[in-house]
Amino acid sequence: MSSNEILLMAHLMRRVGFGSTKDELNKYVKKGYDNQVDEILDLEPNYEVSTHMINRYQPDYESPMGSSANGATWLYRMVWSDFPFKDKISLFWHGIFATGYAKLANGYVLADQIKMFSNYGLGNYQDLLLQLSKDPAMIIWLDNCESHKGAINENYGRELLELFSMGTGNYTEKDIKEVARAFTGWTIANKDYMTAKSQRDSVWPYGRLAMHFEYKEDDHDGDEKTFLGETGKFNGEDIIEIICKQKATAKFISRHIYSFFVEDEPPVPEWPYKKPNNPEAIEALSEVYFDKGYNIKEMLRFLFKSKFFKSEKVWNKRVKSPIELVAGTLRITKEFHRPDKEQSLTNSHTQFMGQHAMNPPSVEGWHWGTEWLDSGTVVERVNFSSSKLGNVNNLGIRKIIDNIKSNISNQFTPEFLIEIVLEELGAIIVSKTTKETLNDFVKSKIDSEKDLTDDNLSEFLQLVGAMPEYQRT
Amino acid sequence: MIEQKERSLVVIQLSGGNDAMNTLVPYTNGIYHDSRSAIHLTENKIIDINGSLGFHPEMGEINKLWNQNKVAVINGIGYPVPNRSHFRSMDIWHTAESETIASDGWLGRTIREIDPKHKNVVTAVNFGRGLPRALVCKDVPVASVGDLNTYGLMPDIKGSVQRENVLNYFSRMYGPNQGRDAILNTLSENGVSAMTGVDILSRANSQYSSSVEYADNPISNNLKDIAKVIFANVGTKIYYAQQGSFDTHAGELFNHAKLWKDLSDALGDFFEDLREHDRENDVTVLLFSEFGRRIEDNGSGTDHGSGGVAFVLGGSVKGGFYGEQPSLELSEQVEGDMKYNNDFRCTYATLLDQWLGIDSVPILGKNYEQHNFINTGI
Amino acid sequence: MTTSFKIESRKTMGIAAMQGRGFYYPFDLSFDSNNRIYVLGRGHDYDTRGCRITVMDMNEEYHGTFASFGTQDGQFMWPSSIAISNSDKIYVSDEYLNKITIMTTEGKFISSFGQFGKGDGEFDGPNGLVFDNENKLYIVDHRNGRIQVFDEEGNFIQKFSSQGTSEGNLYLPWGITFHSDDRLYVSDWGNHRIQEFTTNGEFVRSVGSKGDQEENILHPSSCAIDDKGNIYISDWGNHKLKVFDKEGDFLCSNRGEATLSEWAKDFLNTNVEEKEARLKSKLVFELESFKNDPFNESAHIEKLFWCPTSLTFHKGNLLIVDSSRHRIQVYNKVYKI
Repeated sequence: MSSNEILLMAHLMRRVGFGSTKDELNKYVKKGYDNQVDEILDLEPNYEVSTHMINRYQPDYESPMGSSANGATWLYRMVWSDFPFKDKISLFWHGIFATGYAKLANGYVLADQIKMFSNYGLGNYQDLLLQLSKDPAMIIWLDNCESHKGAINENYGRELLELFSMGTGNYTEKDIKEVARAFTGWTIANKDYMTAKSQRDSVWPYGRLAMHFEYKEDDHDGDEKTFLGETGKFNGEDIIEIICKQKATAKFISRHIYSFFVEDEPPVPEWPYKKPNNPEAIEALSEVYFDKGYNIKEMLRFLFKSKFFKSEKVWNKRVKSPIELVAGTLRITKEFHRPDKEQSLTNSHTQFMGQHAMNPPSVEGWHWGTEWLDSGTVVERVNFSSSKLGNVNNLGIRKIIDNIKSNISNQFTPEFLIEIVLEELGAIIVSKTTKETLNDFVKSKIDSEKDLTDDNLSEFLQLVGAMPEYQRT
Repeated sequence: MIEQKERSLVVIQLSGGNDAMNTLVPYTNGIYHDSRSAIHLTENKIIDINGSLGFHPEMGEINKLWNQNKVAVINGIGYPVPNRSHFRSMDIWHTAESETIASDGWLGRTIREIDPKHKNVVTAVNFGRGLPRALVCKDVPVASVGDLNTYGLMPDIKGSVQRENVLNYFSRMYGPNQGRDAILNTLSENGVSAMTGVDILSRANSQYSSSVEYADNPISNNLKDIAKVIFANVGTKIYYAQQGSFDTHAGELFNHAKLWKDLSDALGDFFEDLREHDRENDVTVLLFSEFGRRIEDNGSGTDHGSGGVAFVLGGSVKGGFYGEQPSLELSEQVEGDMKYNNDFRCTYATLLDQWLGIDSVPILGKNYEQHNFINTGI
Repeated sequence: MTTSFKIESRKTMGIAAMQGRGFYYPFDLSFDSNNRIYVLGRGHDYDTRGCRITVMDMNEEYHGTFASFGTQDGQFMWPSSIAISNSDKIYVSDEYLNKITIMTTEGKFISSFGQFGKGDGEFDGPNGLVFDNENKLYIVDHRNGRIQVFDEEGNFIQKFSSQGTSEGNLYLPWGITFHSDDRLYVSDWGNHRIQEFTTNGEFVRSVGSKGDQEENILHPSSCAIDDKGNIYISDWGNHKLKVFDKEGDFLCSNRGEATLSEWAKDFLNTNVEEKEARLKSKLVFELESFKNDPFNESAHIEKLFWCPTSLTFHKGNLLIVDSSRHRIQVYNKVYKI
């Protein structure tokens, strides 16, 4: 069994990224837990495979028709970054500010949004909301380009309050209308042409075009508005400033952070009716939100170093989202060390499991936790992880097998094999039943070192990939 | 208890936007010939059905069913304010919601009505990878089958004996001996039903026997797999498959013909198979596409349009025309497209109420006028 | 210093199309003896229909397409380059299947050669192809970092260069050009330079240095030489056309000036709503985010080059395959102003 230090580091690495292998964990433990947290938060990640390399073999991989291509590029970054934390952060915000391909028909604009999450997602929440309100994908997705002075469309105003900041029950319908008025004139440049192209999926004449924000003063309602009790000739920036001051916003964001990084909370629609799993933690995070000037990175620094995060009680208390499952598995198997055709198909597996990046079911994003699991998706999940881990031709798996063989001392025991494999895969903790089952399986197949054939090890690794513990993070 | 010979609905999505005008061809209309200078179909090959409209030459098998009065042609089908993006328009058809972005699919909601406690893990079976939004609904499990012959858990384990062996260990790990928490409960519940579903479907595969020889192409394979599950009487009410891509911006004459030939022949074999097993009256097939295409061609194909055509086929279908054939006159066009004259949700409502016997109002959100293409006398 | 040289656009040809008339991610082109252009489409993982060869001419007449995505004879997975022999046979390199396919100009499969490996006649990602005057075929062996020479039938003759960063070495090379009886210019993509060799494989010199300034190049994909020996480079990473004189001194550059091709006009004329909306649009503008990010700028501004992959001189016209914009931009030769 791995040491407690290793197990805690494994927990941290599963949450800030997509899990780490045994070698990585050993290296990080040497640095010390707090130093590792600081490094993850403060260092810029390196990508082993550069954007130039991707574009060289997969030209313009982010923008062609269908949302899967840009998802594949993103997945690539998750798999081949030394610290995939920034991509995890984008994934976090993508789940909240869920924007979908169906209405945009333009992958480039969505890929730009994901880049924006990675650039602003660890900064001040006020800046992030401002960037979000200027984001072309969001402007189209929630119709702000259809909201005009004297003829508002409430869609963005409503979701900004309900899904992106405070949650229901903290504002009135009148507030929504006032927000919508304040955001009139916030649109995209060349709106008619861009929407005409989107509405017809047009790649003609010369491919898709990226989009940018435009503020139209003459379409902005500059009159006085009253929002959450404050009155003024508010523009969008003023509204965001007021939103960010609210206690409800602090709590709402804290709960999202808790749910994504600590343990699954119920889906957002249930929040008004269900207390948080850990109200003190939410309270503490809210305090950091105000103390540190709405700074997300500082909230996370506090969280990762907190007792409630480190507590064994929350280890593996989340169901891996399909993207976490796929990215984490590929980091182990080390596939696609250079761009390859198979990467698109591999990326599609997240969709088969119910999470199609950049094509969420609605603006509410995905429902997480146990809702990822049904009898259809369990088949997809089990088959994916077991066939990937069981493929002895994958570089990462080959290395694990070599490690098994080189570490074998005098007497082979099933316990030894199970122990080493669970460690190599990132210090996975398993139940007694699972361990006994694995043990019986190994006993039925492998008596001694000479039975450590590729076929036997492949079957064993497939069973490991299929165990319920592998579905958790 | 499994009800014998129950009714089912097979939905086949024609992905990419089927060109309605080259499917149900208004071949006696001068406007058709004028606007389709590059890609009109040869007049003497078109299969006439009423003196002014004809099927695409490759739809011979569908025409046979038409002659047996088993094909409802739904002309001018669409929805208000057409959207010509594949993704958005398909979403509208899937969710049956044309104004806002919805997350549930109409068939997903239907399955929830049929089997609210999901007692049967194979109430709906999707053929193809990844679930179309039409089948998506909270708490509704749907099995997605790429190929029934290889469908199962851990298909990479070589050899059936080894596989059975490994699956025994799998079921132990998902069994009731595991410690309890919410996640593990859900995992083991679904792990067990996944195994059940796999068992049911592999039995359907091995029990199948038929004298019909299907062609070897994706849609034929899917329809053959659907037939296998139908004959196994496992309680499946909804089947879903796709044919495509109908996105014929270029090279339409060749591509469109092949797509319809494969589909029409596959349907011919499928219905023959149903007849052989005496199930023809228990199965109704819907063919739909997210939109039709431009009236005018672009030199080698057609661009995205709106109003289209759908088909409902089966032994219990009252053949004939439903909906009106849209006028091709310039004044009647919508931005160069055929104008829709009947909402696709009228067809959905008919299938739900009259075929599956399920109240369509809660599923579609309101009461839609219904067609009468289901033969209620049976 | 003010630039005293200029290169300008003559016209633009092509349109984005997954099938039929047009291209989808074109990578390269070649002329046959009847002046027909064979444009090699790379296609895309999500729409493999674009993987094909489109035949057209300089008058923008369309003469059909052939070949498709797949692993069978006459099909491609990741086609990279196309060359046509003196006897009008088409050669296509496939960097995924590690083979060269030979076809007739009607698209009929003749034969193929090559397989994965490091030995003679084996490839790891075959790329640029060019014939010399004697109908010898030079093949850029991308990941092996070398050039291999074959006869018209695909028989191995010799090889030269090796993977590395020193002069005369190659790192992930892409395009290759033949000039002036016995010279080869290899676009050394990974080393950000053009290297000149004799047809016998002797290293002559290296042109260009890594960077984003005017006189630099970043990941060049291809080059072409005019009758004066001026060197034209598709500066793939900077998304520019660069011109250097025969000594290798910078002359001028062009960021892209695409106009509407005849096929593009046809499209807009049958899709009037789009045409009208387009006419009202401001398609050229400046954004803060363009600074140091020409890829992003090209994603926004349609007329600019976006990942140009190949340059070809033909009867005084310089044809640039503007890959991510699915078109060919045609330029004149550089001239003094």
